[in-house]
Amino acid sequence: MSDFHQNGIITTLHRLGKPSLQRLEAELVEYAKFRPVALVLPALYSEFEGPAMAGIVEELTKVKFLKEIILVLDKASEKEFRKVQEFMAPISSEVKIIHNDGKRIGEIFDTFSRNGLEVGLRGKGRSAWLAYGYVIGRGQSDVIALHDCDIVTYNREMLVRLCYPVVNPSVDYVFCKGFYSRITDRMHGRVTRLLITPLIRSIQTLRGPLGFINFLDSFRYPLSGEFCMITDVARVNRIPWDWGLEVGSLAEVYRNYSPRRVCQVDIAENYEHKHQALSEHDPEKGLLKMTIDICKSIFRTLASEGSVFSQGFFRSLSVAYLRQAEDTIVRYEADAAINGLEFDRHEEAKAVEAFTRGLIMAAEAFIENPMGTPLIPNWNRVISAIPGILEMMQEAVDEDNR
Amino acid sequence: MKIFLQLILDALKDVYVYFKQVAPNILAMLTIILFGFLLARIFRSLLRRFLRALKFDAWSDRMGITAIMRKGGVWSKPGEIIASIIFWLLLIVSIMVGLSALKIPTIANLINEVILYLPNLFSALLILLFGYILAGFIARAVLITAVNSGYQYAKLLAEIVRLLLTVLILAMALEQLNVAPGIVIAAFSIIFGGIIMALAISFGVGGIDSARKMLEKDSAAKDEKKDIEHI
Repeated sequence: MSDFHQNGIITTLHRLGKPSLQRLEAELVEYAKFRPVALVLPALYSEFEGPAMAGIVEELTKVKFLKEIILVLDKASEKEFRKVQEFMAPISSEVKIIHNDGKRIGEIFDTFSRNGLEVGLRGKGRSAWLAYGYVIGRGQSDVIALHDCDIVTYNREMLVRLCYPVVNPSVDYVFCKGFYSRITDRMHGRVTRLLITPLIRSIQTLRGPLGFINFLDSFRYPLSGEFCMITDVARVNRIPWDWGLEVGSLAEVYRNYSPRRVCQVDIAENYEHKHQALSEHDPEKGLLKMTIDICKSIFRTLASEGSVFSQGFFRSLSVAYLRQAEDTIVRYEADAAINGLEFDRHEEAKAVEAFTRGLIMAAEAFIENPMGTPLIPNWNRVISAIPGILEMMQEAVDEDNR
Repeated sequence: MKIFLQLILDALKDVYVYFKQVAPNILAMLTIILFGFLLARIFRSLLRRFLRALKFDAWSDRMGITAIMRKGGVWSKPGEIIASIIFWLLLIVSIMVGLSALKIPTIANLINEVILYLPNLFSALLILLFGYILAGFIARAVLITAVNSGYQYAKLLAEIVRLLLTVLILAMALEQLNVAPGIVIAAFSIIFGGIIMALAISFGVGGIDSARKMLEKDSAAKDEKKDIEHI
């Protein structure tokens, strides 16, 4: 990013000039003595067979400021779990792997369920939440950073820049979200470009200024999966387990903390990871499913803030969104032209049509059941329901890792 | 040759006679064990359902019993463990009753001893279970009180209380099991007495100055009082 404009109600930390990675790392090593950092990595076993993970591990071997790395491994057999252990072995920081498909962690999930705690289906949300509990239980880290495991362009500078605003006591933010551009020979990030931004602008047009919408609009990449936070945020936040995870997490941060203590940081020049299929006719998968989950999460958060929604509002919203999104396509077409990027206008329009359908489906689902999918309870409630759960989790993970 | 054959036939005859005498007993033993096994299985199944209906597993989670099991490397559900223990107890009892049907005096004596020991085992288990719950409650109460009083080492104090109570409970359970009762009582007295003495000494030594100040203050107050009386 070349500008230094501060937009919205949160702080934006830009990449200005050529910041020295060595200086940032040296500072972080010092600060981390007083504010130890845990890195949470939610991963599928299939990601260890893909192109990204080897690069991520190689970069993490060079990171010196991490106290612990918690890898939450999903869809892996016992044999595959052992392979992952070997894969992670070169990393010098302490690595703990939570084996979601293992017998002991399965028993931990049963414990939640029999005590009336609904932790949702498997996915990034549930994995991240489980890792937070483990970090809280160990009590060794004051800061938690999280990033995906499918980043092909991973560089440790991403992690350093992500952690710096929270770990540095004189900067002292409680929550920091990463942003970046996603460009190859064309622009990616369709859901952020063509759904989130036009949708929140349409809601602003129809409803005027709304606290949460202004907050959401302040983020340059609200759907980015990379963020860093103090451990207390992980303790009090309730998060959705579906695709509404990112928006739902931001909603909880907005509810619990002042925007003055929230920032976003430019973590990479470019970022490349797995692309989701549009799946325009199947609402149970792909970007259409993502659209429905994200829209429901936004509606639900706004309703909890006092907004009243009706069929008429949703009809107007879908029309306003469509117009906004079409205008946005024109803007990005110009942006692509000046930067010499490929731009398939028809594909973009098809995406907007699918997003509009998703928006209407989400509105119908919201009218039918405004409570929607329950959020995963926060760790304070879980500890209150099952006082020994953190010890049990530690026992399960330590035993699995032995 | 005839004598030799007669000897073999006599031996086989003896075996046959003995088998004829013992066969009903063996049959009775096998029937009892089989019946006991079936009964134990039915009881295990009923107990599982009953515990599930009572939400025993969730109760164990809240009471911290599950956490202890996990610390011990046991990852089955608490209700499942109880049902399995009862199943094996019933099976062992039925095997013993079955063996007693053989009417062999040595086995009968052994069985009597084991059966007489069962109540001790049961009461030791109860002591351990309720003792653990009680220790948890008391330690928590100490923790809350100490935290509310602003005591800096509240957690340490609560853990010490929990440790002392655990030692007491273990000693009680071992005594109930008749495991070297003399040694258990002596060891308990030494450990418990030692801890209390160490605490008393550390408190006494640490509090010398405070005690002196209190006494001096008291005596000064008395002197002051006397002065006023003279006036």
